[in-house]
Amino acid sequence: MSSEENLSADVVIVGSGVAGSSIANELVRAGISVIVLEAGPRVDRQHFVENFRNLENKPSYQEPFPAVPWAPHPPNQITPNEYLHTSGPDAEAYQQVYLRMIGGTTWHWAGCAWRYLPSDFELKSRYGQGRDWALKYDDLEPFYYQAEVTMGVCGPDPAVEDLGSPRKQPYPMEALPISFAAQQFRKLIDEKTPWRVVHEPQARNTRPYANRPTCEGHNNCMPICPIGAMYNGSYSVYDAEAAGAKFIPNAVVYKIERDAANKRVTAVQYFDPDKGSHRVTGKYFVIAAHCIETAKLLLVSADEQSPDGVANSSGHVGRNMMDHTGVQVTFISGDQALWPGRGPLETNVIDNFRDGDWRNERGAYLVHMVDDNQVDLATQMAIAKGYVGRELEEQIRYMAAHTVRLFSHNEALPDPNNRLTLSKTKKDALGIPHPDVYYKLPEYTVRSCEHTRKVFRELIGHMHGTEEQWTPGYFPQDHPSGSTIMGVDPRDSVVDGHCRTHDHDNLFIASSSVFSTVGTGNITLTVAALALRVADTLKKELTHA
Amino acid sequence: MPDFAKTFRALLVAGTVLGTVLAVPAAAESAPDAPASSAAPASAASPATPSQTTPAPVVAGEEDAVIARGAYIATAADCVACHTAKDGKPFAGGLKVATPMGDIISTNITPDSQHGIGKYTEEQFDQAVRHGIRADGANLYPVMPYVSYAGMTDQDMKALYAWFMHRVQPVATTPPETSLPFPASVRSAMKVWNMLASSEKPATGDSATFDSQKRGEYLANALEHCGTCHTPRNFMLGEKQDRYLGGGSLGGWYAPNITSSKTAGIGDWSEDDLVAYLKTGQVPGRAQAAGPMGEAVEHSTSKLTDTDLHALAGYLRQVPALEDDIERKARDSFGQAFNAPDIRTAVPKRIDDLAEMSPDRIFDDNCAACHQRNGAGTDDHYTPSLFSNSVTGTLRPDNLIMVILNGVDRTTGKDHAFMPGFNGQSEVERLSDTEIASLVNYVMGTFGSGDPHVTAEKVAEFRKQ
Amino acid sequence: MPKNRDCPSAPLWAVSPNRMRLSKLLRMSRRDVLLSGMGAALAGSAAEAGEPDAQNGALAATDPLVQQFMVLSQRLTDRDALDARIGAALCMGIVQSGAERKTQLQALHTVLTKEQYASASDFARAAEKQDAALKDVIHEIMTGWYRGVANGKVVVYRSALMFDLTKDAVFPKTYAAGGPFYWTSKPPEVAKPNGLPALSPSKFVVEPT
Repeated sequence: MSSEENLSADVVIVGSGVAGSSIANELVRAGISVIVLEAGPRVDRQHFVENFRNLENKPSYQEPFPAVPWAPHPPNQITPNEYLHTSGPDAEAYQQVYLRMIGGTTWHWAGCAWRYLPSDFELKSRYGQGRDWALKYDDLEPFYYQAEVTMGVCGPDPAVEDLGSPRKQPYPMEALPISFAAQQFRKLIDEKTPWRVVHEPQARNTRPYANRPTCEGHNNCMPICPIGAMYNGSYSVYDAEAAGAKFIPNAVVYKIERDAANKRVTAVQYFDPDKGSHRVTGKYFVIAAHCIETAKLLLVSADEQSPDGVANSSGHVGRNMMDHTGVQVTFISGDQALWPGRGPLETNVIDNFRDGDWRNERGAYLVHMVDDNQVDLATQMAIAKGYVGRELEEQIRYMAAHTVRLFSHNEALPDPNNRLTLSKTKKDALGIPHPDVYYKLPEYTVRSCEHTRKVFRELIGHMHGTEEQWTPGYFPQDHPSGSTIMGVDPRDSVVDGHCRTHDHDNLFIASSSVFSTVGTGNITLTVAALALRVADTLKKELTHA
Repeated sequence: MPDFAKTFRALLVAGTVLGTVLAVPAAAESAPDAPASSAAPASAASPATPSQTTPAPVVAGEEDAVIARGAYIATAADCVACHTAKDGKPFAGGLKVATPMGDIISTNITPDSQHGIGKYTEEQFDQAVRHGIRADGANLYPVMPYVSYAGMTDQDMKALYAWFMHRVQPVATTPPETSLPFPASVRSAMKVWNMLASSEKPATGDSATFDSQKRGEYLANALEHCGTCHTPRNFMLGEKQDRYLGGGSLGGWYAPNITSSKTAGIGDWSEDDLVAYLKTGQVPGRAQAAGPMGEAVEHSTSKLTDTDLHALAGYLRQVPALEDDIERKARDSFGQAFNAPDIRTAVPKRIDDLAEMSPDRIFDDNCAACHQRNGAGTDDHYTPSLFSNSVTGTLRPDNLIMVILNGVDRTTGKDHAFMPGFNGQSEVERLSDTEIASLVNYVMGTFGSGDPHVTAEKVAEFRKQ
Repeated sequence: MPKNRDCPSAPLWAVSPNRMRLSKLLRMSRRDVLLSGMGAALAGSAAEAGEPDAQNGALAATDPLVQQFMVLSQRLTDRDALDARIGAALCMGIVQSGAERKTQLQALHTVLTKEQYASASDFARAAEKQDAALKDVIHEIMTGWYRGVANGKVVVYRSALMFDLTKDAVFPKTYAAGGPFYWTSKPPEVAKPNGLPALSPSKFVVEPT
C-alpha cells in the first residue's frame, strides 16, 4: 500500500479525456512536465468495433464498453442503475452515461462541436435567469478556435450561415454535406415554417485531417466511429504522449492532499487495480475527470481540513447539476422516402430556439432531426406486428424509409438542490463510494420542453406524420454540468473565471462541471476551449515562475 | 511520409558496400529527400524575387516560353519531390533522412545566392544536374538521379536553369549540414563510380518536337527517371540495364516490373489504363499508387499533359517484356469477392481486453468498414477493391505490408486518396507486428495470390524502413 | 435472460434520440423490473455478457433438425435461397433459447408438411390457428433471419436479411460502401405496402441491458 516510486511533474492531471489530454498536449509542447492519471485502462478501436457488431442491443451505445471493476462507469441508462444512482422526481432524466478509459467519453459522442452563444454566458444579466459565467464569450473565442483546430471541426461559412457565435477564423474544414433526408427536412422547414435548418458544426473530417480519414458515413458515430474520421480524446492522448507526457492508466485517484494552510494542493493519491496506493506530487493540479467523477473526487477527498470536501468552502461542490434534458418523438412520415441513416448521425439542427427574449421565462433549446439507420427498429416493429415473408419485407422497407425522429436539447438552470452526493451504501471494488444524484427538472426547463412539444406537433403535421410515439417524460442527454460551478463569488461558486478553485491556488478544474449555465449546444467544444484556456494560464504561470 | 527518403535509404545501404570497397563517397549531400508538401512547381506564373546578390539576367518577354518550358521540365523531372521538406518551402531542402551512414539532409536549390544555388552559373547547374558534380567540384551521391537527367537536351537544361533562377522563390535558409562519418577520400570514389555507372546519353534537338515514341522514351528515362526505382541495381548501385524496368526493391516498397510482360509486368494494361494511373494514381481493378509512386503521381505525372501521358504510356507498353523469377500471373488477375456470412459467437468483451483477435476479425474490425467484408471496396472506388488489385495479387507482400503500416496519402487535382496507416504512430489503430502479419496473410490469402506466410519478424523489418 | 412483453408497448419510442438509448428497456425496467423482481435477471445477464461464448458445439447443416429448419425458413421468408451455414447457427440458437423450442420447431414442420401453402403468410396463419404457441417460434425464426439474432445473441450482423432487402438504400452501420458524401444522393422511393399481418400481434423478446 505504499508508493514504490516517486512520481512528480510540474502539472498533474486527473483524467485523460478531451480536457485532460488537450491540456497535457499543450503543456508538454511548452516544455512543462506532465503526468496524467486515468482511472480506466488503455483501449483500442478495433475491439470496440468488434464489440459493437457482437452486440444484440445495437442502440445501446454504452454497452460496447463494459467497464473494469476498479473504474466502473454506468453500464446503461436504466434506472435503478448499477453505478450512477439517481433519485428525485426526474431521476430517470438524469441517468447519464460516460466512459472511464483512456480518451474518455468522446469515444462515443456524435461529434457535435458547438460554440456557445455570447448570451449563454450572460443569462442572468440578459434575462434574469440562472447565473452569469465569470468569463465572456470573447474571452473564450481564441480557445474555441484552438479547440476546433485540435479536434478538426467542420462547419459552415459564417457569411453563408451564421450560427450566432462570432468567429475570427473560418472553420478548419468545410461543412459536412447533409444527407438527402436532411435536405428534404430543410426544404420543408424553409417552405412551411419561419425557422431554419443549419449545418451542425462537427468534429468530423470532411477531408483527410490530422492523419485521419474523411468521414464515409458509417452512421455509427455512437457508439464507435469505425475509421477514426471523428475526433476522440485518444488522439490528443497520442499527441501528448508523442511529445513526452506521461499517461498512467488504471490509476484511480481517491485523495487530494493540501498543505497545512489548506491553500495549495501538494499531491494526489491513487489506487492501482490491486488497491496499491501511489502518491504523485506536482506544482499544479488539474481535475479533468468528467462532471460526475470530478465532483465525486472532491467529495471523497474530505478530511479534517475540509470536512465537506476539497475546494468546497462554498458547499457548492456536487450542486447545480444540469443537463440538456430533452424531448423526443418518433413518427412515420407520410411524405417521400427519406431513408434516414445515410451519413453521420447528427448533421443538422433547427437553431431558432437557441436564444430570444423569452429566455426570461423558459429555457432555450435546439432541435435535431436524427439521421439514424432505422432498419433494425423497423424489423423489430414489423415482426412484432405479425408480418412474415414478403409482407414483412415490404413493411421493413417502408418503415425504414419513413421513420423520422426529432429530439431536443433543452436548457437547464443551476439549482443547488439538484445535487450529487456520495452513496452511503454502494461502493466500487476499491471501496470508493458510488455517486448519487437527486434531480428535479427546473420549471424553466419544463416550460421549454412544453414549447418543444408544441413545435414538434406542428412539424409532424407538416410531414403528414402518423403513428407518432412520444418518449414519455424527459431523457438525459449525457451533458452533465455544473457540479463545480464557476462564479466570481467564492461564497456561492467553486471555481473562478479561469477554472481555478477559489479555495486552492494551484488546483484547476477542466470539465463541464464548471459551467455556470448549460446553453443548448453540445458541451464538448466548450469543455475543450475551457481546458485550453487552463493550459494557457498554466503555461504563463509556470514559465514566469 | 518521406517515402522517397525510404527509397534512397535502401540505396544508401548499398552505398555502404560501395564505401567499403571504394573508400566511399564523402562530399555527399544533395541527398534527395521526402517531398510531402504539395508545393508544386508546375506554374511559371509566380513572380521571381531573386536575392539582391543574385545576378539574374533579365528575361525578355519572348523568353517566358523558355521559363514555362523549364517549369514543366522541373515538374516532369519531379525535383520538388526530393528537395522539399515536409511542410517546408518548395525546393528549400532540409528534410533529414536517417540512413545507415548517418543523417543526410537535402539541400536548398532555390536561387538564393547565400543559401541556395543562386550563384550557380548555367554551366555549374548543368554539371550538377546532368553529371553529379557540385559547383565546388564535389561529387553528389547517386541518390540524385543525374545518371537519368544526363539524358536531357541542352535546350531543356537551359530552360530548367532559367526557371529555377527566375521563378523559384529564393529561400534564405540553409538546411543543417549533412555530416557523415566518412573519410574525405570519397570524392574520388564517386568519380570511379561515375565511370562505371551507365548514364543516359543526352538527347539532341527540341524535345517538344519529338515524335510520340521518342518523347515517351525521353519522359521515361531523362525526366521521370522511372528506372531509378523500377530497374534493379547491381552491387555497384548502378541500374542493371539488362533488367530495365524489371522491378526492384527499395526501402521496403517494391517498385514492380512495368515491362510489357503479360504475366510479370503490365502487358495487360491498355494505354488508357496507364494514362489514368499516371494521372490519378488509381485504376479500379488494377492498381493504385502509394508510397514513392504515390508521390511521383502527385507531384509529377498527374501534372503532365495528356499528350505526354499518352507518349509515356505508349513507350512503356513497348518496353521489352522481362519475366520475373516469382510472378507467374498478372498481378491484377487474382481474387474475387468473399461472400461467406459473418457468423458470430462472441459477446462484448471488457474494455481492457485487448487480446489479439483472429485474422478474419482483425480484417473485419480494421479494414472492412471501408474495404467491406467482401473486399469489394466502395461503390465509387474511393476505397479500392482488394481483389483484382496488384497489391494483393503480387506474390511479394512488401507493398501490402508497407501500405498497412504507412497508409496512403495521395492528392491529384481535387482528389485526395487517403488511408490511415496502422503503425506505431497511427491515431486510428496501432497494430502489432503479429497482427499485421496475420492481416497481410489473411488479405492476400482471401483476396489475392494466396497466403504469403509473412511473419511478425518480417513485419518488424518493414516497420524499421 | 430474455423477457417477454407486449408488443404495443415496444414500438417506436423504444429507441431514444441521437444515440438511441434503449428506452424500451428503460420502460421495461421501470415497470417490469420493479414489479416483477427483474433486478436479479439484470444482474444475471451482466454476468453472462462477461463470459466467453457459452456453447460452441455447432449443429451441422446436415442435421435433420437443421434441414427442417431450413425448409421452414424458406417458407416463412418467401425465399428459396437461404444460407445453410447461417441456418445451422440460428437453429442452434433458437433451440437453446428455450426447452420447448425444439418440439415447437418440429411441430411447425409437421404443419408445413401436411399441406401446400402458397405463401409465408398463409402458412403462418395456419400454424397460429393450429397452436397459438407456434407464433413465438415463428417470431424467433423471423428475428433470426432478418435481424441475425437468436437466443438474445448476434448470430450474424452484416449478413442479416434486413440489410439485404434494404441494400439499395442504406448500409449497415460500420459497413458503409458508398464512399464519402454518398448520403447526399436520392435514395429509392418506397410505395406504401398493402399486405396484412399474418399473425396476431405477438410478444417480442427483449434482452435486458
